[in-house]
Amino acid sequence: ENYHISWQDSRNRSETTLNNMPGADKETDLSERIEAFLADLKRGGSGTGPLRGSGEMARETTALLRRITAQARWSSAGDLMEIIRNEGRRMTAAQPSETTVGNMVRRVLKIIREEYARSRGSSEETDQQESLHKLLTSGGLSEENFRQHFASLKANVIEAINELLTELEGTTDNIAMQALEHIHSNEVIMTIGRSRTVEAFLKDAARKRKFHVIVAECAPFCQGHEMATSLSKAGIETTVIADAAIFAVMSRVNKVIIGTQTVLANGGLRAVNGTHTLALAAKHHSTPLIVCAPMFKLSPQFPNEEEIFHKFVSPHEVLPFTEGEILSKVNVHCPVFDYVPPELITLFISNIGGNAPSYIYRLMSELYHPEDHEL
Amino acid sequence: HGCKARPLILASCQISNMSSRGTKQKKGNVTNEQEEEDQPLQAVLIADSFNRRFFPISKDQPRALLPLANVAMIDYTLEFLTSTGVQETFVFCCWMSNKIKDHLLNSKWCRPTSPNVVHIITSDLYRSLGDVLRDVDAKTLVRNDFILVYGDVVSNIDVSQALQEHRHRRKVDKNISVMTMVFKESSPGHKSRCEEDDVIVAMDSKSKRVLHYQKTQGLKKLQFPMNIFQHGSDEFEIRHDLLDCHISICSPQVAELFTDNFDYQTRNDFVRGILVNEEILGNQIHLYVTNEGYGARVSNLQMYDSVSSDLVRRWVYPLTPEANFTDQRGQGCAHSRHNVYRGAGVSLGHGSQMEENVLIGRDTSIGANCHISNSIIGNYCTIGDNVVLDRAYIWNNVHISNKVKIHQSVVCDGVLVKEAVLLNKQCVLAYNVVIGPNMSLPEGTVVSMHHPEEEEDDDDDEFLSDDQVVGNSKDKTKQKAFNPAEVGSEGKGYIWKASLDEAEDEELAQCIWGLVLNPDPDSDSESEASDGSQDMGSRSVSPEMDDVKVFQLEVLGTLQRGEEENIGCDNLVLEINSLKYAYNITLKEVMQILTKVVLEYPFQQQGTKLSSSQYTVLLLPLLKKWSPVFKNYIKRAQDHLDCLSAVEELFLEQETHQTAMVKVLMNMYQLEILEEDAILKWFSAGATTDKSRQLRKNQGLQKFIQWLKEAEDESSEEGE
Repeated sequence: ENYHISWQDSRNRSETTLNNMPGADKETDLSERIEAFLADLKRGGSGTGPLRGSGEMARETTALLRRITAQARWSSAGDLMEIIRNEGRRMTAAQPSETTVGNMVRRVLKIIREEYARSRGSSEETDQQESLHKLLTSGGLSEENFRQHFASLKANVIEAINELLTELEGTTDNIAMQALEHIHSNEVIMTIGRSRTVEAFLKDAARKRKFHVIVAECAPFCQGHEMATSLSKAGIETTVIADAAIFAVMSRVNKVIIGTQTVLANGGLRAVNGTHTLALAAKHHSTPLIVCAPMFKLSPQFPNEEEIFHKFVSPHEVLPFTEGEILSKVNVHCPVFDYVPPELITLFISNIGGNAPSYIYRLMSELYHPEDHEL
Repeated sequence: HGCKARPLILASCQISNMSSRGTKQKKGNVTNEQEEEDQPLQAVLIADSFNRRFFPISKDQPRALLPLANVAMIDYTLEFLTSTGVQETFVFCCWMSNKIKDHLLNSKWCRPTSPNVVHIITSDLYRSLGDVLRDVDAKTLVRNDFILVYGDVVSNIDVSQALQEHRHRRKVDKNISVMTMVFKESSPGHKSRCEEDDVIVAMDSKSKRVLHYQKTQGLKKLQFPMNIFQHGSDEFEIRHDLLDCHISICSPQVAELFTDNFDYQTRNDFVRGILVNEEILGNQIHLYVTNEGYGARVSNLQMYDSVSSDLVRRWVYPLTPEANFTDQRGQGCAHSRHNVYRGAGVSLGHGSQMEENVLIGRDTSIGANCHISNSIIGNYCTIGDNVVLDRAYIWNNVHISNKVKIHQSVVCDGVLVKEAVLLNKQCVLAYNVVIGPNMSLPEGTVVSMHHPEEEEDDDDDEFLSDDQVVGNSKDKTKQKAFNPAEVGSEGKGYIWKASLDEAEDEELAQCIWGLVLNPDPDSDSESEASDGSQDMGSRSVSPEMDDVKVFQLEVLGTLQRGEEENIGCDNLVLEINSLKYAYNITLKEVMQILTKVVLEYPFQQQGTKLSSSQYTVLLLPLLKKWSPVFKNYIKRAQDHLDCLSAVEELFLEQETHQTAMVKVLMNMYQLEILEEDAILKWFSAGATTDKSRQLRKNQGLQKFIQWLKEAEDESSEEGE
């Protein structure tokens, strides 16, 4: 019954006992967790986009990376980065549309670089601003620099990852706190589908102000219905409209506030289907378009990388499988995301404040090391 | 049917560890209910089709390993099981079990990190689903509800909801529900509906209990026995919009029932058996109908075609070609517009078009000016210039020369198609065939390296050893020359003709493409269909008189043997049950005949000239001895009345012995075969003819009834 017991154990094991386990056991447990996470990612998507919110996905990824740091065998920062890069590659390959995972891998790699630099005594600032000369001379040798062993590195990296986790947990609140600066009394706000960040943002504003929200239902998944129910429960005056009515209603709207799945390197969005229509309608009526996007959604990816950009799910929602003969005569597609070009966006609100789309490249370079853009 | 006693080969070593646990918890009662739910979910996967539908392709490769969108079919089934939360899967293989075993051992399912522990169990003796489940029972592999699937089921249905309903039913009804079948809604005419599996189901709308289950088999008229609508709730559904996903959630009893009824071969037998015997065994089958998700079984090439195209059109999301869920290196591919998937290292010549719904495996090169649509091409293929492929399924390492045209055909591994060959619809080129050049194959041609005649020769020993068969066939192919008129001047292979021996088989026509190839023209259906449906109907509703008589004689014989050889009542019941199937007798008739046979038994043995007192002396010990047999059949109130009317009928015939009737009834009452309520009801209600009224005026009977009434009054007074 050995295998059986180990199965149960791996479920019930608490984090504290993990450190006392013998090495081999630790490693199988770790790889089991990684495989489970990968399998989850692969199945992650019941058609309505990710099963969990991307915030949760970011936290889960980071927690797993922290576990890898703590339990994997490595002696220098270089080893650790290699391990994390490998696992990160597998994770992003498992579900390319889930960009948050890759972003968190890049954040952790950046943390390791910084901690290594700090342990060596050089300040972060000098390391970051590499001169053109330095770039040319050091080139491919940069990995060589991470071979030095520091006893305290592991603890430092884990602590830094913990800080990152704390930051992640506060993102939605940080964004919601800025709501009163953007939403004024008796305004008409339009949104589309359901974004947890926007939901929190509107609810926060509703504590002090009275305004009207119009929710585009976002067919075929109609997450907009859930959004509207949730908002009206919070006492916000809410109207649901069909996606086709977006343009017609836009003339009455003061502001459009939306969430997004990813913020791309050029300041564009990869957001739920229908957002492009909404953005164009807003542009036509010169209505400001505000995007609530926590920093972890920033991805160093450009929109022309066609292969990983799109996600097509089962066409069931568009034309149900229960239909008979017609299905063999037509092609049915059900894409999940839209690309929204940066020129249609007025403002990004992230957990560290508001930014224009043109500033995204700068935030990106602060968040990720240029060598980590390609995992 | 020949059951050879031979030890089964166990490929997994962990099984013996669990058997002790299995027996302990086989009879789950309320107290360890919680424990049961915590146990890992198990599944039984049958990696054999037990038919020859895919011959000659499956002569070289078992069906479970045939590529479907470049991934072996069994991988889809395992992925479905794993994603639905199964933690332990038993894979049963028979035909070419070594290949399946090798495949699984090298797959991600056998890695130590796999959340689903896969045990491979092989035996050459499995001939049907029934054999496998009997083996499951013999080894006590399952401890709890399990999922039963074939190795060629493709699905992404989340069955946890169905599983929950199933468990709930079992908790409420004390293990009455033995199976929950998963069906998917889809209207008739849907291309993924398998014509052979087309079913009509009558069910109770509230409890989802299956009342009647019948394959339509192309019939236009169907008959339902009226009695199915007479009990239960007042809402029924008769549905023809269901697609059988071939996924069933089974209670552990299912394996036991297969052991008890050795004539069950397929799930169809089982379902019919359970429904017909519902009153006896008290078991029920339920239905879970979903309209989300995808589930289908690749049971013939027609289904292969439609399931492949559904996969490419992403109906089975997240099991899409680019997801690489088998986690194999280099298997990944990129998805782009119009459902075009390209593997790594694919090269496309100048002017070639991949129109839509195209999947191309890794390192495949395609020449110039090709036109490809709705096709799947495997790994390492070479395709020449000016080739047209439409609905072509091309497996691995295939070489297709210039100017070839292929429409809706399957081309297996290692095939070489020479220049300017035209494959019309529904052609199959099995492994390593060479065709051409400059010829056209007519619609429905099947070409194989196996000579069709060799099949009969190795018919007997093909189940014994794979190696032997392969060796045999190689020898034979060498002996026979290829016919250039069939496969072209440079061709290699023989035209395959399906043998007609198995046409009588329940599997209908043994055509590889399934029924659709020769659909019944609408005109001829009226007369034939009604004939057929009557045939079907009479089998379950009213058996012919001859059968009843033969059955009566058989029951008599059984009881005589039981008396002489002192056979236990359990075995008698088993034997009567199997007789019941053999002659298709309804339950009511079984009871009447049994009563009649037992009551006539003394006459049968000693002649009809017995006096009443002699008769009772002989009969009473028999009644006592066989009372468990009676009790087995007499359960509900209606059964009691039926039994009583049989007694009445007998004594109306044997007028001289009417005095004995009281004693018989008294005895049956005391043995608790009959209840007093039933006797009273029968007495007050049943008199319809003069004779039976006369019978009821018998003094002894009157007194007996009087006594029963008083006894009832007393007991009710005591109760108060």
